[in-house]
Amino acid sequence: MPNNTAIYGSQFWMQFQRKFVNWSLVRKILSMAIFILFWTILVQFIDYFHQIPTPKAVFLAIFELPVPVVLKNIGISFFRVLGGFFVGVLIGFPVGVAIGYSRILNHLIFPSFEMVRPIPPIAWIPLTVLFFINFESQAIFLTFYGAFFPIVYNTMGGISEVDICLPRAAMSFGVGKKLMLWKVILPAAMPQVFTGMKLAMGFAWILVVAAEMMSNKGGMGYYVWYNHAVMDYPHVVLAMGIIGLCGAICSVGVGVVGNYFTRWQRFV
Amino acid sequence: MANAKQEALELVFKQPTFVSKVFSQKTILNTISVVSVFVVWALLVHFQVYRFSLLPSPAEVLEWGREWVTTKVFWIDTGMTTARVLVGVTAAYVIGIPLGLMIGWKKVFSDLSFPMLEILRPIPAPAYLPIAILLLPWQEASVAFIPFIDALFPVLLNTIIGVKLIDRDYFRAAQCLGSSPRQIFWHVVLPGALPSISSGCAIGMGIGWMGAVVGEMITGKWGLGYRIWESYILLRYPLIIDGMIAIGILGFASSKLIRYLTIRLVPWRKAITESLDESITK
Repeated sequence: MPNNTAIYGSQFWMQFQRKFVNWSLVRKILSMAIFILFWTILVQFIDYFHQIPTPKAVFLAIFELPVPVVLKNIGISFFRVLGGFFVGVLIGFPVGVAIGYSRILNHLIFPSFEMVRPIPPIAWIPLTVLFFINFESQAIFLTFYGAFFPIVYNTMGGISEVDICLPRAAMSFGVGKKLMLWKVILPAAMPQVFTGMKLAMGFAWILVVAAEMMSNKGGMGYYVWYNHAVMDYPHVVLAMGIIGLCGAICSVGVGVVGNYFTRWQRFV
Repeated sequence: MANAKQEALELVFKQPTFVSKVFSQKTILNTISVVSVFVVWALLVHFQVYRFSLLPSPAEVLEWGREWVTTKVFWIDTGMTTARVLVGVTAAYVIGIPLGLMIGWKKVFSDLSFPMLEILRPIPAPAYLPIAILLLPWQEASVAFIPFIDALFPVLLNTIIGVKLIDRDYFRAAQCLGSSPRQIFWHVVLPGALPSISSGCAIGMGIGWMGAVVGEMITGKWGLGYRIWESYILLRYPLIIDGMIAIGILGFASSKLIRYLTIRLVPWRKAITESLDESITK
């Protein structure tokens, strides 16, 4: 009997765990704690890392944060990122649809894209400075350029990889060309289009930070570089965190919009 | 009868001749596409539309480029940038691939390490620059740190996805046959994830070039990115475009090289993608 109760006891404990303890979540929280602990130990006890701010210093920096300045810089960066991103979507999406849908347009446009694409967007900075008059338009051009190719390539890929059975089925129901595009091909391509948009959002943030670091026209990249220049490292780390948060918010936003446009996936 | 059949087959599957290949619609349109970029650029500069009057024309770019290629500076710059990219991206491979394999394979390991990486991931690579300058005593290392960060996350995420996409039955079969975890790792996890790892490596290489240019433009003494920035400051505008072209060619070639090598190294890549397609269509 004692044996049995031990088994039942353990089964009860297992059921309890399964119902009330989410071990995965516990481990995730633990990983954060370990990360912060590791960081503290590294900075406190190893001389090599003594210049890196401790987690405590970063946390205390939150209270000294010049909130209006930071909010203004966040607003500036958001404006640039979203401006470039929306221009990228407005131009990149139709172009992607055109070269994914029509073979002649693909042959006519795609090689020139392939030629320009390997040039890293950052390398365009000097030319954009020459070409555009004010910094806003330069930054928006850069974010546009970074967002453009992921959107075009993924839209094109999404449309050319639509399962051939879907348009055939629609055709056999007598669907016309216009309806085919709007009701069959575009919805089927949407998941990959939004993958491209998420990538584009990431690139837009990288570019905006790089562009702002190289100039003094405000924005979160400038804020990081400014704090680096005045050697206020806790604020550098904090600003990095804020940029990461902004990027994550934008990415989640694209994901939410994407969920709306790919809602047919839930019924498949 | 046999002859007639052969004739019919020849009609249907007509082998393209050399002439029909060269003058096919595709090649003609592609040539128009590539040539028109240069023609439009030259015309815009020639007729000084808006601010195109400030930009150099294709002829100027070609002339300066020819001269630039013969100088020693060009080769040192190219070598430096390539070395930085290679160091950063190789470090990303060395750290990203094993980490990704473990995160994809073991749930416990994933829970313990992935949340932290998810927090670090959305921070753009240039924002790490101040920390890299603090952390690494040598300026070269802080420039190579940006391609490392840029390349790390594509490599890591592709590796994780590669492991997650392995058919669960392979694990079960290996376990049924009595393999140890170590054998499962070497014979199931690693080969199964390699196709996805190879595409992650190619993407990482492409993005690594972008990171190197950022690093060199902000902090650097040599390198193609620095040269572009210097030519902007010294008003040698054609050299800016030459530098852009050089980086573009190098980035494209290295990415293609990785893709080619990995396809050679992973001959079962095609079989796996085909079986994946089948399982999706089923």
